[in-house]
Amino acid sequence: VPFYDELFEPDGTPRPTTRELVADLRALGPEGLMEAGRRRDAIFMQRGITFETGRGNGASLERPFPLDLVPRVLSGEEWRDIKRGLAQRIRALNHFVDDVYHAREIVREGLVPWRLVAACPHFARAVHGIRPPGGVYTHVAGCDLVRDGDGTWKVIEDNVRIPSGISYVLENRAAMARLVPELFSSYRVRPVDHYPQLLLRALRSVAPSAESEATVVVWTPGPANPAYFEHAFLARQMGVELVEASDLVVRDDVLYMRTTRGLERAHAVYRRLDDDFVDPLEFRADSLLGVPGLVRAYRAGSVAIANAFGTGVADDKGIYCFVPDMIRFYLGEVPILENVRTYLLSDPEVREHVLGRLDQLVVKPTGESGGRGVMIGPHADAREIERMREVVNADPDRWIAQDVVQLSTVPTVGAEGQLQPRHVDLRPFAVFGERIDIVPGGLTRVALDEGSLIVNSSRGGGSKDTWVLEDGDTADRAGPPIADTQPPALPDLRYGAWTGQQQQQQQRRARTGPRGS
Amino acid sequence: MLARIAHELYWLGRNLARAEFTARAVEAVFQAELQGTSDSEPGVSFGSGGLLAMFGDVDESAQSGQALGQLTLDAGRPGSMLASVERAREGARTVRDVISAEMWEAINTTALGLRGGGQPGWAAPAGTYLASQYVKERTALIWGVANRSMLRDEAKCFLDAGGLIEISDMVLRMLRVALPQGDPSADGHALILLQAVGGFHAYLRAVTAPPNAKPVARFLLFERAYPDSVAACVDSLHEVFMSADAGPRNSKPVLRVSRLAADLDFQRRALPEEAELSGICKQTQQELASIDQDVAERYFAGAAAAGLRR
Repeated sequence: VPFYDELFEPDGTPRPTTRELVADLRALGPEGLMEAGRRRDAIFMQRGITFETGRGNGASLERPFPLDLVPRVLSGEEWRDIKRGLAQRIRALNHFVDDVYHAREIVREGLVPWRLVAACPHFARAVHGIRPPGGVYTHVAGCDLVRDGDGTWKVIEDNVRIPSGISYVLENRAAMARLVPELFSSYRVRPVDHYPQLLLRALRSVAPSAESEATVVVWTPGPANPAYFEHAFLARQMGVELVEASDLVVRDDVLYMRTTRGLERAHAVYRRLDDDFVDPLEFRADSLLGVPGLVRAYRAGSVAIANAFGTGVADDKGIYCFVPDMIRFYLGEVPILENVRTYLLSDPEVREHVLGRLDQLVVKPTGESGGRGVMIGPHADAREIERMREVVNADPDRWIAQDVVQLSTVPTVGAEGQLQPRHVDLRPFAVFGERIDIVPGGLTRVALDEGSLIVNSSRGGGSKDTWVLEDGDTADRAGPPIADTQPPALPDLRYGAWTGQQQQQQQRRARTGPRGS
Repeated sequence: MLARIAHELYWLGRNLARAEFTARAVEAVFQAELQGTSDSEPGVSFGSGGLLAMFGDVDESAQSGQALGQLTLDAGRPGSMLASVERAREGARTVRDVISAEMWEAINTTALGLRGGGQPGWAAPAGTYLASQYVKERTALIWGVANRSMLRDEAKCFLDAGGLIEISDMVLRMLRVALPQGDPSADGHALILLQAVGGFHAYLRAVTAPPNAKPVARFLLFERAYPDSVAACVDSLHEVFMSADAGPRNSKPVLRVSRLAADLDFQRRALPEEAELSGICKQTQQELASIDQDVAERYFAGAAAAGLRR
């Protein structure tokens, strides 16, 4: 099966948008890339952008986050389509969450079976009938996109619970600009560093605060969480508090945080932990990470939670196949981005068909994320396939099967500095407040092993900087205009005019001759 | 103390502060200029052209990369980091008996490290970033050594005074070059201005308004809790002169500084949020220039005044 390479045409010549990039990469050469790679690792260790690879002998081993130095380039036109498609999809998903916890019209219409919705592990009865401010549930969304063999963009997975990775998008860009600025020379790349401001604005816009500026907090499970770096990063970049459960308390259905000046109200919470753990009174009773009474406060409308509780029902892999139907049903529009063909195994006929060709399909558990439990048929051996057959037969509702997508490739720097094609996907990040904003590009994840299709960073994946180009002439790089006033000349640029010193200078000049001759 | 020594220390402080400011600004502009404009909102832009204009060194023909290069290691450009550090070194050499050996070494090492193209690898396009990083680290070290090892006497006062006046002057210069004037559509986010002075994090902690041009300018002008704001610098300047001056009650620079501090405080309270700030920037900068002159006349026996007037 042919792969779609994003840098090169099938005949090996660079694609029109990447011609200059390829030339710059060649000019840099393997040694240049290796050298930049060494500096990258040093910078990432220094800045603490690392992830832990298991604790051996009691000590944790930190590795720099694997950023590949070859960027991925998307034209402005291509990006506009993706952006429109994503905004449409996220709007539909948001409608779906609202519908599931209210009138359930889509179920009554017979489009989505209720059995499937109610069986979702993330379906939350506790929030039935609650409508958050602005009707927004999916404040932060990250849909995973892939490119087919012919280059078509498809959605492979939706993430509307707590999608992570945005900090790496920002850090990757900052690192690329420092490590290989020469690659940027022929391009005008859209910046990404305004994301925290977008998020803050969205959170403020949904916060129920009449009198004053809303207080926003980021809620982390704690420093032991693998994504703690991102939580701290976002809190710092937004200039808000990073809180843990012990900092929060609910009194009379209002959420407060404990400060040195007593209790202070929090109006909006960007929470980075699963529904299961947020409130021991409503969800898992054994959760030590939760705040008792939070759901009551949420129900009372005194606090906005992003993303809302119960949104997990919309990114369940079993529900995924119905998203195109949702777009038609709620928005009356034709889906702009396609789904990957998916088989629901609860249907006996479909199951029969799928079980017959398990070696050609990908099988995924519906309620999991992060690539856990996924079996890729063509890469699995007979024993694994046999085991999967038994597991699926035992509980078919918990599994879906998908066609194998031949993920597109982008050349990636190998161990010796040489370029080798590796498979990639793309996770753009959307922020839904008063409107939907999508940061140009997103997190490109790359499978670092040859032929591998698994891009999850927990399983040996790396990442790439993703460039969305500005339209228009790339050569046009006129600097920004300068305001009219010219400040006065710098005060004396020599070392003042101390006469004694001038004499000294004169002496020196007399000895060495006038400077510059 | 000797007027000459005070004068040298004052300029040592100014040159060190200028090198540091240049390094921060170059780093921010370097990063920003590689990328295009945001697709959602344009925001305030501050590029290498603006940076050169700040130093009164407009070069129409220069490409952005070259322009930043000129501000890093080009000894021929008076605004470059290398030139500032070299001047600081020259100054430090003439007051070696007053500053500690440790501090002299720190300054000397910095100058040596920047000479002749700097460290290996700085010739690469990423060198601009590496050089600014180096200067930032070294100046932090020099100020750290000074704060730990220098006696809190007149000498330290003049060193600090130079640094403070230079920082506020640079901030005002930047605001004057970069603030959009009379064009409300250009009032987008002004992250670049905060990054250029290293005040990004402080702003986010101190101000709830989004980092747009107006609130950012107000912050850089008036926020007393932020040490590099103009108001904070002027306050500290007042303290410094109060303790250095033999007769502060009738000393021209002290009076002028305390009037400026009161003025800034008044403007902060009196001005509405959306007020145009470029006028105040201009006034304040002129006032600082007068202070600089008063300082020269009172403490340096008027010797520097001729050079200042140019």
